[in-house]
Amino acid sequence: MFGWTGTILRIDLTKGKVSREATDPQLARDYLGARGLGGHIVRSEVDPKTDALGADNKIVFAPGPLTGTFAPAAGRFDVVTKGPLNGVLAASNSGGTFGPELKYAGYDALIIEGKSAKPVYLWIKDDQVEIRDAAALWGHTTPDTTDLVRAETDEDAKVSCIGPAGEHLSLIANIMNEMHRAAGRTGVGAVMGSKNLKAVAVFGSGAVKVADPEGFKAAVMKARQMIQAHPVGGTGLRAYGTDVLVNILNQSGALPTRNFQDGYFPTADKTGGESLAAKQLIRPKGCFSCIISCGRVTKVDSPDYKGSGEGPEYETAWAFGADCGIDDLDAITKANYYCNEYGLDTISMGSTVACAMELFERGIITTEDTDGVQLTFGNTAAMVEMVHKTGKGEGFGAKLAQGSYRLAESYGHPEYSMTCKKQEMPAYDPRGVQGIGLNYATGNRGGCHVRGYTIAIEVLQNGAVMDPHVTDDKAGLGITFQDLTAALDSSGACLFATFGIGGAELTEMLAALTGVDYTLDEFMRIGERIWNQERLWNLTAGFTKADDALPQRLLTEPIKTGPSKGHVSRLDDMLPEYYELRGWDEEGVPTEAKLKELAL
Amino acid sequence: MTVKYFATIRTYAGETERRIDDAPAGMRELLTSLAARYGTAFRRAVFSGDQLSGEIIILVNGRNVVHLEGLDTPLEAGDEVSIFPMVAGG
Repeated sequence: MFGWTGTILRIDLTKGKVSREATDPQLARDYLGARGLGGHIVRSEVDPKTDALGADNKIVFAPGPLTGTFAPAAGRFDVVTKGPLNGVLAASNSGGTFGPELKYAGYDALIIEGKSAKPVYLWIKDDQVEIRDAAALWGHTTPDTTDLVRAETDEDAKVSCIGPAGEHLSLIANIMNEMHRAAGRTGVGAVMGSKNLKAVAVFGSGAVKVADPEGFKAAVMKARQMIQAHPVGGTGLRAYGTDVLVNILNQSGALPTRNFQDGYFPTADKTGGESLAAKQLIRPKGCFSCIISCGRVTKVDSPDYKGSGEGPEYETAWAFGADCGIDDLDAITKANYYCNEYGLDTISMGSTVACAMELFERGIITTEDTDGVQLTFGNTAAMVEMVHKTGKGEGFGAKLAQGSYRLAESYGHPEYSMTCKKQEMPAYDPRGVQGIGLNYATGNRGGCHVRGYTIAIEVLQNGAVMDPHVTDDKAGLGITFQDLTAALDSSGACLFATFGIGGAELTEMLAALTGVDYTLDEFMRIGERIWNQERLWNLTAGFTKADDALPQRLLTEPIKTGPSKGHVSRLDDMLPEYYELRGWDEEGVPTEAKLKELAL
Repeated sequence: MTVKYFATIRTYAGETERRIDDAPAGMRELLTSLAARYGTAFRRAVFSGDQLSGEIIILVNGRNVVHLEGLDTPLEAGDEVSIFPMVAGG
């Protein structure tokens, strides 16, 4: 095979058994890799109703065919499993260098099943695979774990690991790769913790075979030039990082503020990419084969929050910023560092703190619940302290560690959890941008922006432009983005490559790489197949049309101030058309004809 | 009227915002006067020939001028204008 390695590695932690199997060429063609192929493995092998933190759940690390090549920003992989936060077919995508290394070691996917009786880590060096004792690693932060694992294996090993949050089964725990890149969402870190799996270390000495080297080189160079010529992919993200979005979303009236009680934060500029570049940025940083370099290597000099590391991204700056009523960028960045060290998803962490702040201000919880902390909006020290408590799972932090839905529900007020399918929504207010609300509501892993980033068209004017306040044609827009992204994720490329190239260029690279005569139509059909695969699995797990919803607040409480004052989400205007265009029935179930069309 | 600048536009303008007491009649007049004040880099960022650049995002009270009347968008004294280069993230 070209593009794919042709081998899948399987490790049974219960039996301590290592085995290999051939990658099915037809499945590879139909699902590409990463999210698609990993999703097919989980769909085929894991009962949708199984306990996500039980031994019967499996966790798959999968790069895509482009991963590890010199295609632009081709360093991605997905962690696929039954997500413990909300029970969906979860795929959490990450950059860094771990994905390419797994490919170089010879694997299209790593399937981990069962449960170890004691803490272990995996050491994969090409075809040598060891399950090693991790007793000495347990309890360590992700940077310390990475250093310790490298000391025991190879200084050039690439390490994915969990921190203390994953160990104590926080449902918002992530998996950190190379210390600073995260498979962040849906609580995948808790699945590793439940299996007593602290880390996976990989070193590979192989290469990716290319079917048409000259054709691939030409397609890659064309794509790189298009990205470099693009104002965002070429220069914008490198200069300001993703945090540049704070101001444009705020000025558009779509920056969720104080747990989505408002959509405008007057002092947001203090937390934006411009401020970050002026105060904290040391240098931009890219993942493997990246020419965009959106990553931020930063330091904080202020005495209260002194430190260094990477971040924050836009979503993080918002979650610990406007959503918590905070405009202290130093505190935000420090909270980001702590999340990386404990292994916590910054979006869910910040949104859960914001939810707790609203519960506190409404008198639903008091200092008796919060271990004596005055958890009011704008209290920066309290926000940072909540991250510590959550990371350690101590006191009130044990409740925060379960995410905002369970937190709010435990006090009888789930309506104050700003979640879709129990996962916290990111940094775009659906009352100010209608299409993103439809994307959140229909998202196969719950509240998520990177499953269908309609913001690119509704706000950012990237390639085309649609009015954020209208609902017309947003169903079709959302579907196009969802399918394109599903295929792109599964290819191994970074979503940000689309700030410069589109499906046509991705298809061209894939065809030359793999030797498969992919067309743009087939590429999009692959995305649609993957989207429907995830939908089917979720339906079997128990999700229904009722779960394609937004928090009631967004439908009935208008934004109070700013440019979107008076607006609510009009989800009901879009959802029926979405089902119809998807080829689903009125209950949101894919029709037999659609499944046949997609060979599902 | 208040005009706010962001990202590279802030660099070109050399300031974060400017209050304008005598509001120009429309967007074209505003951008022309700002280009005269801030110089070539600003002008090249906002104009493509005599048209609005496709790589600039201008909001009037939060509304993108492409959904209003573009360069012919009328302006009033209390308006807030925000000028961005193309940005992205997520």
